[in-house]
Amino acid sequence: MIDMIIIDGLSFALPLFIMAVGGIYSEKSGITNLALEGFQGFGAFTGSVAVVYLTGIFGSTSNVPYYAGFIFAVIGGGLFALIHALLCIKFKADQVISGVVMNILAMAMTSFMTKSINASFFGNSANKFMLGASARITVPYLSDIPLAGAIFRDIYPFEILIVLLAVIMWYVLYKTKFGMRLRACGDNPHSVDAAGVNVYAVRTMAVFISGCLSGIAGMSFAYSISANFSPDIYLGYGYLSIAALIFGNWSILPSLAACLIFGFARSGGSAVINELGLPSSYNDLVRILPYVLTMLLLVFFSRHNHSPRALGHIYDKGQR
Amino acid sequence: MKKFTLSCLAIIISLIAGALILWLMGKDPVAAYMNLLQGSGLMQKVKYAGRQNMFTDFMSFIDAMTPMIFASLSVAIALRGGFFNIGVSGQMMIAGFTAHMLSLVVPSRILVIVVGVIAGALVGALIGWMRYRFNVNEVVSSIMLNSTIMYLVTFCINTFYVNPVSRQSKSIIESARLTISGFRWENLKLDIALAFPLAIITAMFLQWLIERTTYGYEMKAVGLSPKAAYYAGMKVNRISLITMTISGALAGLAGVSYFCGYYASIQPGTTPSMGFDAIAVSLLGGNNPIGCIFASFLITIISKGSVYMSSRQNIEPEIASLITAFILTFAACSAFLSRKGRK
Repeated sequence: MIDMIIIDGLSFALPLFIMAVGGIYSEKSGITNLALEGFQGFGAFTGSVAVVYLTGIFGSTSNVPYYAGFIFAVIGGGLFALIHALLCIKFKADQVISGVVMNILAMAMTSFMTKSINASFFGNSANKFMLGASARITVPYLSDIPLAGAIFRDIYPFEILIVLLAVIMWYVLYKTKFGMRLRACGDNPHSVDAAGVNVYAVRTMAVFISGCLSGIAGMSFAYSISANFSPDIYLGYGYLSIAALIFGNWSILPSLAACLIFGFARSGGSAVINELGLPSSYNDLVRILPYVLTMLLLVFFSRHNHSPRALGHIYDKGQR
Repeated sequence: MKKFTLSCLAIIISLIAGALILWLMGKDPVAAYMNLLQGSGLMQKVKYAGRQNMFTDFMSFIDAMTPMIFASLSVAIALRGGFFNIGVSGQMMIAGFTAHMLSLVVPSRILVIVVGVIAGALVGALIGWMRYRFNVNEVVSSIMLNSTIMYLVTFCINTFYVNPVSRQSKSIIESARLTISGFRWENLKLDIALAFPLAIITAMFLQWLIERTTYGYEMKAVGLSPKAAYYAGMKVNRISLITMTISGALAGLAGVSYFCGYYASIQPGTTPSMGFDAIAVSLLGGNNPIGCIFASFLITIISKGSVYMSSRQNIEPEIASLITAFILTFAACSAFLSRKGRK
């Protein structure tokens, strides 16, 4: 049972985490990002279209569609995120409103296009693309360790990808010049500008990155939890990852902890409910936990929580 | 007047964009848009089923529009007072659910409304209180509350209030429902939205409250600059709390007129998208209560008429939400245009 909790918990927590990392990039640069939900959905959509199309060419046994799906999810999520960047940076729209708008736009566009594509290319009226669940791999030797071995058992390939990416992203944000400038943009954009760096470009890049990473997350959810792409992908995981990054005080490692707590609470809760023989509708009670936890945390610790100082402020070069 | 022009511009651009999509898909945009009006009972359809005509269509259009007016008023008043109430969906759901529960005990229309208002107002007040007492951003707390309420209500419905056939909640008893469905008049079957007059009166009352009372003035002052309002001696905390309570109460009204009126049951597992569409409507109406009525009218034409359009033109009904999303996107940009115009 403990094995199952670890396996399921990780496969939910890691996509959530990479999305939270994307959110951290965007918010650290000073752009409020409520649009993660829309980004992950749009990324999952473009990825799924690629998978369905390429499966037709390479056949269902090939690995090409799987990896191409993730690449297209990254591209799709990133391009869609540029709309958010355009609205927030160029058109100086309210960032919160723009984020909500992006979610609605993503949901409307993907469900419309899914149906249209299905109707005109595959001749059915389904509102989903069937993907099937991703294959799982088990790392030899490491998985034989008692208890901790479960971390290496039955993992989805995308989990490895996410861990690698997260390490790179951590390095870029905290150890490179670009990362330093990005973080400075969120705290004091005017000083960044005075140092001769283009604030708009840095922020656009940050939002683009958050879209790319969310795309991976969306594709992972499509390949694991739902095994298809349908409008059901907008279940609020994007909002959950926002909760995680606030929980983690806008830094990467504490956010990982928050995601793991959320993931294990979810899988642990389902396991307990299974064990007690309760009907599956009790799962919904468990799912309340992360949200209530985040709210309580905010209530008790919001004085210690430091959001980036310029977060949500529209940067205007001419402003003093 | 400037706001009015901008809203019109956002609508026109979005309709052109929608027409372009329709045209690219090989449909006739003019016919499609006429279908929208026909589906909403604003134009004569080619033929009608028994006991139906343009008037019955229009009455069910009004029925669909009523919760939208309340929801957009909720967003509008919060925005005027400096809050972004993205939690309308959750407030609607909890209000609808508590009203459903109460109607099991006392089936009364008045009580359904009162309980809905109280439930919504309490959630709104909680958000406002957390913001001034603990400095919790209202956007974040309402997102958390949305999910909490959604899962809670879903759990309650699925455990003891489910209709096993439709997988929805059980239907509210007719004598407590805010819409009289299938009312016989002459040889027609009408849906009468009892809450519609209330929606219009509420909008007018809010207009008066915002423009003509001390509270309204203070609310706008707090919304524009809390610091300035504080130095002017206004009780910022109390005013914010009242604003969010009113906003929550309006969302509650939207909830009961949606879940205990337009629909008779609650769909578990999802939050009503109306709570988010209402943001579009409110922005479109310039966050003005009377403007909200007209904006609701317009958006409801698109959402309500799309069913008829999709059957006539053989096109996905999702095109309606797509056009709404376009309007929302352009409305979000129009804030920029108006700011630019002023400078």
